[in-house]
Amino acid sequence: MELSPLFLILALPFVAGLAVVLLPSDSRDPATWLAGITTLACLVLTAILYPSVADGESVRYQVEWVPSLGLDFTLRMDGFAWIFSMLVSGIGFLVVIYTRYYISPEDPVRRFYLFFLAFTGSMLGVILSGNLILLVVFWELTSIFSFLLIGYWHHNQAARDGARMALTVTAIGGFALLAGVLLVGHIVGSYDLEEVLKSGDLIRSHELYVPTLVLILLGALTKSAQFPFHFWLPNAMAAPTPVSAFLHSATMVKAGVFLMARLWPVLSGTPEWFIIVGLAGMASLVLGAYLAMFQQDLKGLLAYSTISHLGLITLLLSLGSPLGAVAAIFHMLNHATFKASLFMAAGIIDHEAGTRDLRRLSGLFRYMPITGTLATVASAAMAGVPLLNGFLSKEMFFAEAVETHADSWLDTAAPYAAVLGSALAVTYSIRLIHSIFLGAPPESFPREPHEPPFWMRFPVMFLVIACLVVGIIPGLTIGPFLHTAVSSVLGAETPQYSLAIWHGFNLPLVMSIVALASGALLYLVAGDYLERSERPLLIGRIDGYRIFELVMVAMSWRWARLVEGIFGTRRLQPQLRLVVATAIIAAAVPLFYAGLGFGQYGIGVTDPAFVGLWVVGMICAVAAAYQAKFHRLAALVLMGGTGLVTCMTFVWLSAPDLAATQLVVEIVTTVLILLGLRWLPKRTQTLAEPDGGLARLRRFRDLALAVMAGAGMATIAYAVLTRAPPESIASFFVEKSYAEGGGRNIVNVILVDFRGFDTLGEITVLGIVALTVFALLRRFRPAPDTIERPEQQRIQRSYDEAEPDREPGATATDYLFVPSVIMQWMFPVIIVLAAYLLLRGHDAPGGGFAAGVAMAAGFILQYMAAGTVWVEDRLRILPVVWIGGGLLLAALTGTASMLFGDPFLTSYFRYAELPLVGKVPLASAALFDLGVFGLVVGATVLMLIALAHQSIRRLRAARIEENP
Amino acid sequence: MMHAEMLPAWAALLTALLVLIGAGLTLFGAIGTLRFATFFERVHAPTLGTSWGTGAIVLGSIVCFSVLGSRLVVHEILIGVFITVTTPVTLMLLARAVLYRDRTEGNAGVPARLASRREQQGRTEAEDGDGDAR
Repeated sequence: MELSPLFLILALPFVAGLAVVLLPSDSRDPATWLAGITTLACLVLTAILYPSVADGESVRYQVEWVPSLGLDFTLRMDGFAWIFSMLVSGIGFLVVIYTRYYISPEDPVRRFYLFFLAFTGSMLGVILSGNLILLVVFWELTSIFSFLLIGYWHHNQAARDGARMALTVTAIGGFALLAGVLLVGHIVGSYDLEEVLKSGDLIRSHELYVPTLVLILLGALTKSAQFPFHFWLPNAMAAPTPVSAFLHSATMVKAGVFLMARLWPVLSGTPEWFIIVGLAGMASLVLGAYLAMFQQDLKGLLAYSTISHLGLITLLLSLGSPLGAVAAIFHMLNHATFKASLFMAAGIIDHEAGTRDLRRLSGLFRYMPITGTLATVASAAMAGVPLLNGFLSKEMFFAEAVETHADSWLDTAAPYAAVLGSALAVTYSIRLIHSIFLGAPPESFPREPHEPPFWMRFPVMFLVIACLVVGIIPGLTIGPFLHTAVSSVLGAETPQYSLAIWHGFNLPLVMSIVALASGALLYLVAGDYLERSERPLLIGRIDGYRIFELVMVAMSWRWARLVEGIFGTRRLQPQLRLVVATAIIAAAVPLFYAGLGFGQYGIGVTDPAFVGLWVVGMICAVAAAYQAKFHRLAALVLMGGTGLVTCMTFVWLSAPDLAATQLVVEIVTTVLILLGLRWLPKRTQTLAEPDGGLARLRRFRDLALAVMAGAGMATIAYAVLTRAPPESIASFFVEKSYAEGGGRNIVNVILVDFRGFDTLGEITVLGIVALTVFALLRRFRPAPDTIERPEQQRIQRSYDEAEPDREPGATATDYLFVPSVIMQWMFPVIIVLAAYLLLRGHDAPGGGFAAGVAMAAGFILQYMAAGTVWVEDRLRILPVVWIGGGLLLAALTGTASMLFGDPFLTSYFRYAELPLVGKVPLASAALFDLGVFGLVVGATVLMLIALAHQSIRRLRAARIEENP
Repeated sequence: MMHAEMLPAWAALLTALLVLIGAGLTLFGAIGTLRFATFFERVHAPTLGTSWGTGAIVLGSIVCFSVLGSRLVVHEILIGVFITVTTPVTLMLLARAVLYRDRTEGNAGVPARLASRREQQGRTEAEDGDGDAR
């Protein structure tokens, strides 16, 4: 694997994130250094790549992933991706410096940097993905890590709610995006970004264009917090301020507009695109700015302002004109610069003054003049004051808004909306500065404010200087890079544009002046009202948060309960009935259309002994069903009889492997069911039978179902047996088993080698099942009539207690004395048997599964012989460790082959010369089998322990009754 | 390794005899289990099969496969050992369970519990002592 710089840029943050976790817990400075060096390294690596993307080319890095599905791990950097990864890693670096001073040493710093670095990596992944599916994967990762970052102070209710809301909204969007991307792949025939970007006409003319567009836009608009999905962003402000500065100004929310710009050449230019994107953008622009004015929380104001500015970018992208796209990309960069610095300044103010409430903050300028100046400049950039970067992109925006692109009311409204939004932006910018820094000195602050340490202010300063420099000499600074980015998106369509500050006295300038003047005027008139207002005028009662909560409650609680009420049942019988009925229907439908079709072969079993064996088995089975209602123990014994007949059948038909496994499984299941019997509700023949037509009808229905299922199964099996055996791969296994798998036991070689991946999946399922059983039994509430101790135990107990020289439980111990000694002696024998089964498994009947169950039987015997308490006093069994260790060993054995360049789970086989023993076959599959063994032991013993503990646990009510 | 048809006559006869003895003993045991009246009688019958029934079949197997393989094959003995060790456990568990049940239900024909017997003895002695004093 060659180390491409692209791969390094992507991998470094994730690796560093893991490294941070390994640091000691109080290492604030090492973690900061590590994060800082990582982001700086990403920045430098990106910068080095500039020559390769400067001339409109792109850098690619490709590793095959699932090529048959068109999925490759493709990274691709062109000018647009370059400028975005500069932005992400650059602002990431500044945020790290800032965080060092912002996060208090009491907070879990490692967790912060882990999430932060992982988020940076995911964001870079979104930017650098050259494959749309890969992009969606990283997109979802950003949602998850933003959830974790917003909820960083998880002791805080607001943080938890905000994180949950952000995740819900963006993850729904991400799901829609995945569906949209799949549609794109369906239309284009490839997920490769370059292929997709070339197929714009194909996609736009396809009949699935509208659903594709809607789904992708759903993803982009939720991510960028655009109307009507904007409500999550203000609620995400409970996050630590560095997170807001990074996620909610420069990166996460930019992912949406980034995607829209990325796919702009493919999707834009249609009326649908214009209407959806334009409407969302315009609504966000005006609504965000309007709501921002009324915010009393400093970060809330910035959040709504972000919504408004992202709306501006969205509106620009909606126009479908190349100049609009240029302005959009330019504004993405400008907004990131000034908004990140403003968020960081907000954090400083919060940190120093102890509050973010605009009503309580005032006159801070005399305490922190430098921060005040920086914040003022950044706010001016946000308002679009000339000589700052915000002014340039806003001018371009006005120019584009005036142009007519599509003849509709939306287009006519655009210039007015633009001026209105900008005027409101001026108002809230002035309000921000005026209410925090100017005015009377405050009467009381939670603490005396002063200037922050230099390095905490440094990131703000750096960004503000960037705003100024770009605003004054744009052509010399951002110009060439912007051109690279723009031409990589627009290609041949790249228009002529000028970044000059002065274009002459034209309409956009007039609009700018009008916006600035009317915004200032509005603040003069309504400033006091805004300062005192409780909620926004006119639409204050429409609260996105409350609507979201109502919807969530309806969906996740009321509807869920409703569905549960209709389909759910607390009784097992209806569920079983449903399952069986569904199975019958599922089998009957294809049989009805295709017919059953018996073959010409007979069964061909004439051996009377074999037939007799089966008659015994069938009698046992039927008798078990007959006895199941009132004599469960007898039914269980009879089931054991059927199981033994099955075992003997396997032996008879030359399948010793199956027989051995079946035998141990039979033993263990019988014991486990036996242990569970005690918890079933009692049933006696003296109980009154429910009579009446309905009950009788129900029973006939159940009988009919049972007969149909059983007879149907038998018929199908018979029909299959009478047919000629199909061409199977069995001969392949027979041929290759020894030659390539190194084992003579074909069944085992299939399990651990040829179909090793299946087995890995199966043992994983087994582990999950065992854990589920354990979890269910931990909260098990027995039926009321089984809470009490069984009659036998009660008699023994009262007898033991009545006798002065007897311990409680002595009766059982005495009765079991001789058998229990022998059973304990059997323990090492069973261990040896299990080891024998395991070791010979590759060549002779046996194997990890049979050995594991045999080993578990050994443990069961100990529990039975001496009782739970006695065994657990002396024997420390850690079933979960067995499960985890087994699974890990199996997976690691599989992974080991990858180190040698072979696919996952390739087995390795050779003979080794051991001293004394001689020539010994060694197969890596044996290690895999050892993993299977460990997992099976763990899973079985875990279920056993869960059941055993259930019998010694006493319910509180029962305990109180016994020992009042 | 030879096939079963190539077994010499003496070995074939010996094997057949042993296997028949074993199978016959096991059959008698099974019939006994069915025919005896009470549990404690019945519990003895199947041991015919698990002792010499198994033993004879194991011996037959040793003879047959040793001759066929022209070497001593004895690992069947393990089967015999396992059955000899495990059968008593089963039977003891069964017998003690029935004994316990009969005592608890107060059925006739089972010995009383040890402790309560001692208690009864104690009571008789105490009565005797009283008599002496009087």
